[in-house]
Amino acid sequence: MSYLVSSEENLVRQAIGGDQLAFTQLYDNYYDRIYRYIYFRVRSQAEAEDLTQDVFIKALTAIGSYKWRNIPFASWLFRIAHNQVVDYLRKQAKEKMTSLEESTALSTNNPVTTTEQKLESEDLAIALQKLPSAQQEVISLRFIAGLPIAEVAKSLGKRQGTVKALQFNATASLRKIMLRE
Amino acid sequence: MTKKLENIFNECVERMLRGESIESCLKDYPKEADELRPLLITAVNIERRAHLVQPRPEFKGWARVRLEGAQIYARQQKQPRGNGFLVWRQGWALALTAVFVILFACAGTAAAASDALPDEPLYPIKLTTEQVRLAFTFSDTSKTKLHTRLIEKRSLEIAAMARQGKTEQVAVATERLVKQLEKASYMIGEVEQTEAKPLIAIPKTATAPELSAAPEPEAVPEPEKDEAEDTRQLKEFVEGSTSGNIAILESALEDTPEQTKPVLQRAIEISKQSYRETPQEVGDEDKAEPTIVNPEQVQPSPQK
Repeated sequence: MSYLVSSEENLVRQAIGGDQLAFTQLYDNYYDRIYRYIYFRVRSQAEAEDLTQDVFIKALTAIGSYKWRNIPFASWLFRIAHNQVVDYLRKQAKEKMTSLEESTALSTNNPVTTTEQKLESEDLAIALQKLPSAQQEVISLRFIAGLPIAEVAKSLGKRQGTVKALQFNATASLRKIMLRE
Repeated sequence: MTKKLENIFNECVERMLRGESIESCLKDYPKEADELRPLLITAVNIERRAHLVQPRPEFKGWARVRLEGAQIYARQQKQPRGNGFLVWRQGWALALTAVFVILFACAGTAAAASDALPDEPLYPIKLTTEQVRLAFTFSDTSKTKLHTRLIEKRSLEIAAMARQGKTEQVAVATERLVKQLEKASYMIGEVEQTEAKPLIAIPKTATAPELSAAPEPEAVPEPEKDEAEDTRQLKEFVEGSTSGNIAILESALEDTPEQTKPVLQRAIEISKQSYRETPQEVGDEDKAEPTIVNPEQVQPSPQK
């Protein structure tokens, strides 16, 4: 694990220095997780694709000023993703988009292939939407993006104890919601 | 007690994410096992369902190409111009070129640069000339039209590069196209919001065909028009131009080498997306402003 961390740290340092290949490698390493995180927040394949792309473009623009010491790279990247999602959701709220249930029924751009899998992922997405935003964030970063608890805490700017509590309560809430449906 | 349970739960989650079974972890915490077991099963379920969602490989590839193009573009922007003694700042270069263009408005250099392609030496002069034209265009409507014409130029450049099989240049040119589309979208949003203002003097913008020479700025007062008519005409202009751009790019597909077709296809999709979004918002009061990607808003502020 320490080798992997150090390996990524080297990659990030090279990317900060302008190494194109290094940044592209980081893109390959994180793309799927960023996409998945965003997809479950915005629930649209097309929007998730565009927002994921925007995350990496913004990261490319800002990586020159990123410092490894202050915050792990993954936490930094997911913070950018979080802000993209927040901006998008604010815009959607202004446009008074269709309701959650209608979005589910009308969705034709689901990245999951089989019907049963599609239902399972959509059930999770619907259940997530019913959580308070802080709990949604923790579940999204912890279980969907797969970040360790320390990186989740850094990304959200919260203490680890607080994140653990959110994680515990959110899981309990999700269990109740998904059992009801 | 609650706090301890949260910590145990977190520890078991981390062990499970490393491949350990639920029961293996709960063996270490028999008193809490009954309470934690259903929550750990839920956690596993969440992770499993989340991983059912997979990104499209083709989009991932296209986004990768765009990212690489953006990196090349960014590197080119950072490169100093001239020799070691003459590293011009962008502002000075723009000001100096503005003086040059004004004094020698019809000079051969600017005219020759107007047809330059991205991989040619005069291309930077072409881009700077466009910036000067924009600087001397004052009304939102005129700026929007000029941005739209510049989008046409970018599309022609992309088509020309694609036909020559210059994949990297197409990716970089597509990045410029995206930025141009963003500026045009922003201006269209401004036109929507701006009320009719009395105009003092508006320089006449170029109305020549796409690859035209630098303009001669002159003060020409715009005639008074109905605002709705202005917006309708602008909408038609943008729509017509955008559909023309798509046609330009699509016509290049046939002559484009196979290895370059994916990046050209991406440029076509970007143009089509702008066609779906941008023209419909002109003059439509119920639509929200187009999304603007602001590179300056990149450092997220820590959440408290």
